[in-house]
Amino acid sequence: MRNQAIRFICALGGAFTLAAAVASAPLAAQGAGSGAKVPDITGLWDGAPGGPGTRDLVQYMKSQGQEVPFTPQAAERYKHVDFAKNPNGFCLPPGPSRALTGPSPFFIVQHPSVISISFENHNIYRLIYLDGRSHPEDIDDYPSFMGHSIGKWEGNTLVVDTAGINDRTWLDSYGLEHSAKLRITERFEVKGSDLIRYTVTYNDPEFFTKPWSVSLNLGRLTDTRMLEYVCLDNEKDKSNLVPTKREEFQ
Amino acid sequence: MTRSLAVLAVCGGLLLAAVPIAAHHSFEAEYDRNKPITLKGKVTKVEWQNPHVYYYVDVADEKGVVTNWAVEIGAPNGLYRAGWRKDSLKIGDQVTVEAFRAKNGTPHVNGRSVILADGRKVFSGQNDGGPDRN
Repeated sequence: MRNQAIRFICALGGAFTLAAAVASAPLAAQGAGSGAKVPDITGLWDGAPGGPGTRDLVQYMKSQGQEVPFTPQAAERYKHVDFAKNPNGFCLPPGPSRALTGPSPFFIVQHPSVISISFENHNIYRLIYLDGRSHPEDIDDYPSFMGHSIGKWEGNTLVVDTAGINDRTWLDSYGLEHSAKLRITERFEVKGSDLIRYTVTYNDPEFFTKPWSVSLNLGRLTDTRMLEYVCLDNEKDKSNLVPTKREEFQ
Repeated sequence: MTRSLAVLAVCGGLLLAAVPIAAHHSFEAEYDRNKPITLKGKVTKVEWQNPHVYYYVDVADEKGVVTNWAVEIGAPNGLYRAGWRKDSLKIGDQVTVEAFRAKNGTPHVNGRSVILADGRKVFSGQNDGGPDRN
């Protein structure tokens, strides 16, 4: 049993083969238009173990010796948020960045003109256009849960700008809301074949006095597969939720 | 008892640290961290479905009145990756569930771990910010 246990744990650890993180990234994929080689990030990924957690971004910032730069109104909203209204609890999409900073694997499919990310959590997706297009002119009139993303490769870093995010998502699992003026910039810095340093910068003048950023490592998963997650399949929680303020338990 | 689940019982803390098990709702909005409860009884049903696995346990009180309790645990995807399988708990299994009660007072709990009939303790907790029982 002991050996079996060790084998199992080793297999699980192998899912995050970070030992290879410092190896040079394969320069296999073609960048849009330029003909330049860019890192190949196609595959299954998730947040890598270790490092500060990102499910509670206020705590994350404290762990970095910083504070979330709330505007006064946003600080009040944060203080009095009702945890029963967590959009995730209603099986709604988590938004473009919470899909990455929260737990659950995602599968990246890379093409020179577009990158698709399929998220296991909620069976949702993002499309990041790399073909040079701009955001649609009316994007702010038709905001969506996952927003509209355009990006470009800067060396080994994929830089993504996302606009048109509605104000119905939380940025984390602990009631960090935002306005429809939120715009996020993400940097996927490919540090090796199995490691991406992901940094998201939140810019929302209604909620934050200045842009602020969160970083985490993403690790490639090699010995598991995408599983289906249909949130409404056997949902029993909604009817049991009770209005709950932060001060009741913190 | 599958091999993987047995391993999970041995090293559950480590595995849960490596494989977060998501909850799709906030623990605090549904369960009361000040109302821990231990349920002892037989498994009557297992629902291996999203967004959470549920199993049900018949528990008799001191007067012999039996109540069927619903036990919510992690999402099947995270549990699967942590070593659980859909037959890890079977109908008729005698279990001890360490859990927290629902705020609304119904016979419905959030299961953090389960002690199997052979004494092994298996973590079924969720990375939802809820309290640990240990």
